[in-house]
Amino acid sequence: MRVTVNGTERSATVEPRHTLAELLREDFALTGTHLGCEQGACGACTVLVDGASARSCLFPAFRADGTSVVTVEGLGGAPGAMNTLQRACLERHSFQCGFCTPGMLIAATELLAENVEPTEADVREALSGTICRCTGYDSIVAGVLHAADLIRVETGAASGSAMGEHS
Amino acid sequence: MTIQRLTGTSVQRVEDPRILTGRGRYVDDVVLPGMLHAAFVRSPHAHARIMSIDVTAASILPGVHLVLTDADLRPIIGDLTANGSPGLFVATYSALARGTVRLVGEPIAIVVADSRALAEDGAALVAVEYYVLDPVVDMDDAMRDDAPLLYPEHGSNVIYRTEHRYGDTASAFAGAAHIVRERFLQHRHANVPMECRGGVADFSPATRALEYTVSHQAPHAMRFQLSLILRQPTHLLRVRCGDIGGSFGQKGGIGREDIATCAAARILGRPVKWIEDRAENLAVAGQAREERLEVEAAIDAEGHLLGVRVKMVMDTGAYPQLGFPASGYTNVVRSLFPGAYRLGHYDFDAVAVTTNKGTYVPYRGPWEVETWVRERMIDVLARTAGIDPVEIRLRNLWNDDELPRKSVVGVELIKMTQRESLLQARERIDYDAFRVEQAEARKNGRYLGIGFCNFIEPAPFMPSLIKAIGFMAAPRTPQEAHIRVEPDGTITLFTSQQPHGQGHETTLAQLIADEIGVGIERVRVVHGDTQVTPFNFVGTGGSRAATLASGAVMGAARQVRERILRVAAELWEIDITDLDIVDGEVVANGVPSRRLPMQMVGILAYTRPGLANEDGSLGIDEHHAYISYEGTWSQSTHCCTVEVDVETGHVRVLRFVVVEDCGEMINPAIVDGQVRGGVAQGISAVLFERSAYGADGSYRADSLSNYLVATANDIPHIEVVHRHSHPDDPVPFRGVGEGGAIGAPAALTNAIEDALVPFGAKIREQHLPPHRILELCGLI
Repeated sequence: MRVTVNGTERSATVEPRHTLAELLREDFALTGTHLGCEQGACGACTVLVDGASARSCLFPAFRADGTSVVTVEGLGGAPGAMNTLQRACLERHSFQCGFCTPGMLIAATELLAENVEPTEADVREALSGTICRCTGYDSIVAGVLHAADLIRVETGAASGSAMGEHS
Repeated sequence: MTIQRLTGTSVQRVEDPRILTGRGRYVDDVVLPGMLHAAFVRSPHAHARIMSIDVTAASILPGVHLVLTDADLRPIIGDLTANGSPGLFVATYSALARGTVRLVGEPIAIVVADSRALAEDGAALVAVEYYVLDPVVDMDDAMRDDAPLLYPEHGSNVIYRTEHRYGDTASAFAGAAHIVRERFLQHRHANVPMECRGGVADFSPATRALEYTVSHQAPHAMRFQLSLILRQPTHLLRVRCGDIGGSFGQKGGIGREDIATCAAARILGRPVKWIEDRAENLAVAGQAREERLEVEAAIDAEGHLLGVRVKMVMDTGAYPQLGFPASGYTNVVRSLFPGAYRLGHYDFDAVAVTTNKGTYVPYRGPWEVETWVRERMIDVLARTAGIDPVEIRLRNLWNDDELPRKSVVGVELIKMTQRESLLQARERIDYDAFRVEQAEARKNGRYLGIGFCNFIEPAPFMPSLIKAIGFMAAPRTPQEAHIRVEPDGTITLFTSQQPHGQGHETTLAQLIADEIGVGIERVRVVHGDTQVTPFNFVGTGGSRAATLASGAVMGAARQVRERILRVAAELWEIDITDLDIVDGEVVANGVPSRRLPMQMVGILAYTRPGLANEDGSLGIDEHHAYISYEGTWSQSTHCCTVEVDVETGHVRVLRFVVVEDCGEMINPAIVDGQVRGGVAQGISAVLFERSAYGADGSYRADSLSNYLVATANDIPHIEVVHRHSHPDDPVPFRGVGEGGAIGAPAALTNAIEDALVPFGAKIREQHLPPHRILELCGLI
């Protein structure tokens, strides 16, 4: 199979029972995608497949043939670099242990690609498929709203800040 | 020039760049040459005798390298056991089941193969014959005379019984205006870190050294136990931890799987990786909180507490967790139950039982039931006596002018700020306005409620509390830090903390940067390696870092600062008192030309004997220990408002306010994150989570689809307000890791009962999913 991962074309031979998560983590050594339940419930393993979020723990690897996959490692471009969303989360102390982080960032990426003026409710809904056990979610929601603010400034899109920071 | 102090500011986390870019290193990310993978054969029965185990088919499966059962391990390793505390029966057990299985999921065999998939294939081929025994699933069943016994050699499923009497409750109750008798049940639920347990064992047949990389919160404790049980010399045993995907108490003990994985690696002479899956984690990694308290409480006509009698039953599950004994929990609950309230007459009886369920482990504020039951009890008393719930609390809290004093159990109460935090929470939530809104809403068939909760949290445990608990050998807990100046002048801290989300790489670096006078980017915090970090049994746990790790780090940093100044003093022949360190340079007061950057200090310290150290030893390398003392209380009032939909039973948390007093804060954003995360776990415990067992002992919550955890849609914005009381001691910070989870269930269940007053619903249990709300309202 051939798959584009974070902009680079890759190829691999996979067994029918291999998942996309195993392909990414084991064959391509992209361990930023985490497995929290392997039941499709926790969301930590979420990646983008052709722009849409997918649970890589349940997604058969062979079905990714010919698609373009984005993982957390691909968000910032160059190694170690951070995009606006990641910087916004850094500034808002969004995460603690970091295990749900890839899933949260991918879910937020999907949201912000569709809606750069999300309300707090929009953000909570978009993140509700990913479980965080550390933060109580406030700081992640604040980070994503902050990112939306920054993205609007960067792109000159309509302003009207929703709620970049909680009191 | 003025340098901005980092302590007290929300410095960006040192951990975040790697976490946000997918470059963390969790245990499943570890790949070693020639590494094999482990899977476990587990019992499908809650209680059964193992008649036979046939591993033949698994052993000959291509790709399978090793299958081990207890018969293989028994000759070469020891059992899991703990020194009992007085009166406690502590079962001795084996890594892999021996003779009898006592819970669903108990490990029976380990299969090691080229891949995890093949190991699981092999595990499925291990044939085990069972003779099924009657299980004990319920705490009352466990105590029946004719109950099946988990440990026939002990003769009872009751493993601990204790009675304590303080004052004279009989006389106190005789003068009561109101007496309430209630039974409060807290349900079994679990820590649920997002990363399950796991480890990678690497054994060298040449050197006979074992290295175990593990997801754990106490690597020195892991090493200590592994060494004993594996009979592996400790100097040839190194335990390492990378990034840890949460723990909340679950990863503090030693797992049977840890032992079997290390034993397999030692037999094979190849690295073996074990990664627990979620079904295993929910069933066997440890569960918590299952306790029932029967309470009798007496008040006078004005609502003053006269006396309380408590009878506690704790369900410890099938096997004892090593490290913290069952009697520890009941005695901490006893010692903290009075809180900061005036209570002069108090009886406390406790029983711990063993059942065919998951092992009881500590979970974030392991004694939390004392707060939940006390604060529920106070609301029940308030309603019985017709007194406002805030008012009855104010009437019973100690006044400042009555402190310091010992509580009824002998715990030193110093600088209590519960009265202030309660009043502040009442103001913040706008209590009077809420009562008006509540009354209006009820007219329209909407049910709003409000609940308060006060608690004091030992953060860390203080000597008088440890004495009151009565079972711990050492009355004071120490913590050590080790700081080294490197040859280029950068600074490395070795801490015995084992952070798993708490941000110690940031907070401890903040303290060092301020104490020494360098930028935070020049400080690195090293943890998670028993070969280099100071010994400590606890690692990160017990809300100890803020005071104890900080005290050790600040002490070591001050010693390092003295050595740095000594280098310049000797070099320049200037009195040390005329020197300072500003922004990474030693400067001489009044002599602007004298500047010695840290790079030069480092080189000089390592190359010029006599500069840094009088005895001629090279480098700057300082150790400092810090030990617990009285008065280290974090204190909070939680207040929340809810709306209950009596059509669906759904509870919506409208507002959640925490007024927190943890002294000064090192990093306010990290403090808020700890508080909010704990509150979210408390809300989730009440509304969603339950480690459910069937009557036959089957486990019914083995996925995140049937063990529900609150999502971003279920948790409201949590308002955190800080009170900045300033302790007198040199380390003004208090722990906040556990408090959020301690206070939230009480505030929330109090609010729910308040909302449901028109239905006469009595909330005496903590798990309140929608169907239970409707049942308690009499609607279904």
